[in-house]
Amino acid sequence: MDNNMRNNKNFSKVSNIIESLTINPNPDSVAVLEEIGTNSSIDEVRELTSRALVKRNEHESLSVVIANRGKGINDMSTVVAMSTINELLSLENKEEAMRVLENTISSEGFDEEVKENARSVKALMALS
Amino acid sequence: MTAIERINQLSHRIFNTSKSEAQTSRTSNPFAASNFQKNILTEDVFESSKAKESSKISFTGNLTASSKRIYSTFVGSLGDFGNKFYEGIESIMAFGTRMKEGIISGWKKLHELGNTEISLDGTKEILARDIKTFFVNGREREISKLSKMDPHAEVKPMLVEALSALEADMAVVAA
Repeated sequence: MDNNMRNNKNFSKVSNIIESLTINPNPDSVAVLEEIGTNSSIDEVRELTSRALVKRNEHESLSVVIANRGKGINDMSTVVAMSTINELLSLENKEEAMRVLENTISSEGFDEEVKENARSVKALMALS
Repeated sequence: MTAIERINQLSHRIFNTSKSEAQTSRTSNPFAASNFQKNILTEDVFESSKAKESSKISFTGNLTASSKRIYSTFVGSLGDFGNKFYEGIESIMAFGTRMKEGIISGWKKLHELGNTEISLDGTKEILARDIKTFFVNGREREISKLSKMDPHAEVKPMLVEALSALEADMAVVAA
């Protein structure tokens, strides 16, 4: 993330809002993050959103970043994907994340690319 | 006799001695025989010491009873004044003692302060920490406030607006 972006007042505002949705107990927060944050054209915003969804450590929020094409670990931006994987590896309680990864790998309804990424991340998490 | 003749006579009278005036004893006046521009002063302008002695006031005699009472009252008041003066001196001494004690205690405090090392580095650290805490707390307060809002009804519009502004900023930077 470059310094110009960090020093941008509007980016700070977006960052604060995303951070607040991370700790907001209302489950609707996940829907807002998915709808607005993960679909942003700005890589930094998608990165922040993916990390926020991982931090929530809920089934719905983890499903967004693991089982969706073009989001989270499947993002076209390597930075966003790697940042999401790092956040998953940093989780203290990885049980829910492992469950979501296993469901994605074993489910028939997902793309092969998404399944492959899920397998790789699961392997990393098993090693960590 | 005209006025001019009278003035001449007067000046002759002042600056020239008559026989009787020349024989007058002037032992009490050493300057009486002095010649001022060859003219002898004929008047003894100095006060006689003998006359002074005669006019001295004597406290030993000729005092009436009422005068004595007045003088005794005056002397008594002098005695009271002495007591008051002595009391004043005592209060001044007490004041001096208090001042001395105050100065000593102040000196001791100064000495203690002098022995205490005041570190500016510590102050800098405290100030830096406080300023950092101020900004961090400000951000945390805002996040905490936002986290209590309804995600769909309140937070979503704010996020959309902030994102639009950010995208506009990015477009300007890219251009």
